Amino acid sequence: MARVVILGAGISGHTAARHLQRHLKKGAEIIVVSPNSNWNWIPSNIWVGVGKMTKDQVTFPLAPIYKRKHIGFRQAKAVAIHPEGSPDNPQGFVDIDYTDPTRSGQEEQLTYDYLIVATGPKLNFAATPGLGPDGNSWSVCTAGHAEQSAAALETIIEALKAGERKTLVIGVGHGTCTCEGAAFEYTFNVEHELRERGVRELADVVYLSNEYDLGDLGVGGMTFAQNGFETSSKMWTESLFRERGVRAILRAHVEKVDPGVIHYEELDGSKHTLDFDFAMLLPPFRGVDMKAYANNGDDITDDLFAPNGFLRVDADYAAKPFEEWTPEDWPKTYQCPRYANVFGVGIAFAPPHAISEPRKSPNGTIISPAPPRTGMPSGVMGRTVALSIAERIRHGDQAPLRTASMAAMGAACIASAGTGLRKGSAAAITMYPIIPDRKRFPGSGRDLTQTSGEIGLSGHWTKLLLHYLFIYKAKARFGWFMIPE
Amino acid sequence: MSDVDRSIAEAPLPTAGTLRRRKGLFYQATRFVAFNFRMMKMVTRAHH
Repeated sequence: MARVVILGAGISGHTAARHLQRHLKKGAEIIVVSPNSNWNWIPSNIWVGVGKMTKDQVTFPLAPIYKRKHIGFRQAKAVAIHPEGSPDNPQGFVDIDYTDPTRSGQEEQLTYDYLIVATGPKLNFAATPGLGPDGNSWSVCTAGHAEQSAAALETIIEALKAGERKTLVIGVGHGTCTCEGAAFEYTFNVEHELRERGVRELADVVYLSNEYDLGDLGVGGMTFAQNGFETSSKMWTESLFRERGVRAILRAHVEKVDPGVIHYEELDGSKHTLDFDFAMLLPPFRGVDMKAYANNGDDITDDLFAPNGFLRVDADYAAKPFEEWTPEDWPKTYQCPRYANVFGVGIAFAPPHAISEPRKSPNGTIISPAPPRTGMPSGVMGRTVALSIAERIRHGDQAPLRTASMAAMGAACIASAGTGLRKGSAAAITMYPIIPDRKRFPGSGRDLTQTSGEIGLSGHWTKLLLHYLFIYKAKARFGWFMIPE
Repeated sequence: MSDVDRSIAEAPLPTAGTLRRRKGLFYQATRFVAFNFRMMKMVTRAHH
């Protein structure tokens, strides 16, 4: 019986596992390896970060789901891939170290017929001295981090209520960060919370980002057709900042976070400091720490993984200037070019380059967003690769692979701007395609009939609906597969 | 004032009517349906 090993149980990996099980039933052995025992609906961590949800509302244990669905589960982290097997056995295998407290210190080798690398990001707080909850700033990347941020925010609100003025800085903590959308969301949720609690006037809220313009969001900005005009996402976003009285520092690379002080460099090379009382700064991402070895023991990590630690797939990684980037550079099948039975999905695959225009300061500091791989495309990739593998298990190694290029895919993103069934709002955005294609869509690079942005209460309703729908789906409850990725 | 501050200061503000529509239950219900329909079209197109 074929065995599929999936490294990672996030949006991509967990999606792949469920679709594989649904299509293959007992026709294959599926094993998920994840260092975390819980699944996290990450988009709702923002609401945990402002105290509107608890950690328990955005996470659930994986083991019972996998047991019910007859999917093997190892609570462990993958430390090395051996795609060529060993001298005695050519079957690929993965070295795993158990993080399950009942199996602490144990290791295992898992052979596979197909491997899906869906390990997500390593939260690289170490890239910026002083960054992160173990340092001098907060995070909302995990549900646990978000709970800590909510507690710290509450302390600030109490001080504001006592009449003290405070500065809250929210954004990204390195020049190469992605996830500006999450930073945007947290900024406006905090701002909304301050208004709801009657302390907004005493708070200075500052958004600190590596984007060149507001509304870039790591996708090079967007153009919306609104009221008879082509409106840039820059102006659209600036309008919200003006409306809500939020300041913005852009084109910034955070060099260091001291207690109460952010040190940053701007794109023109100038250096600055920013005093703060509360700071939530997202870390840059890199691939998880994982090595790869040939069957003779040679280290082939640099062959399989890009320098940023993400798995190389069927993308065009040739270095080229921004003007020569094309949508065809982006992967379609997510298959590892060297090993046909290895795939990389979600944040774990190495993008060919960014989407936003790359920029460097005169000091050589890269200050431009890395490309986001948000929930919807990540889920679609997980499903697509699962179906490709299912076809190959059923019909042989030459069965065609399915495709899910970000250049042929749209995305819907809902950036919450405050909670409340009557008082909440969100910026609801659609874009098609994710990767701009200026040959198909001259000018903006995207289809104006499918690229839109609007702000309102309905956006909050949609985000809340998706919270419940996607947790229902992730728990593999009855009819889960009818909810699209 | 930085370029960014200036650009924000000159950005359009929503009118009173726009602010009302953003919170109006009936209007937002229609926007909810429209957005989710648009989103469903996009996600089903992505499944191939």
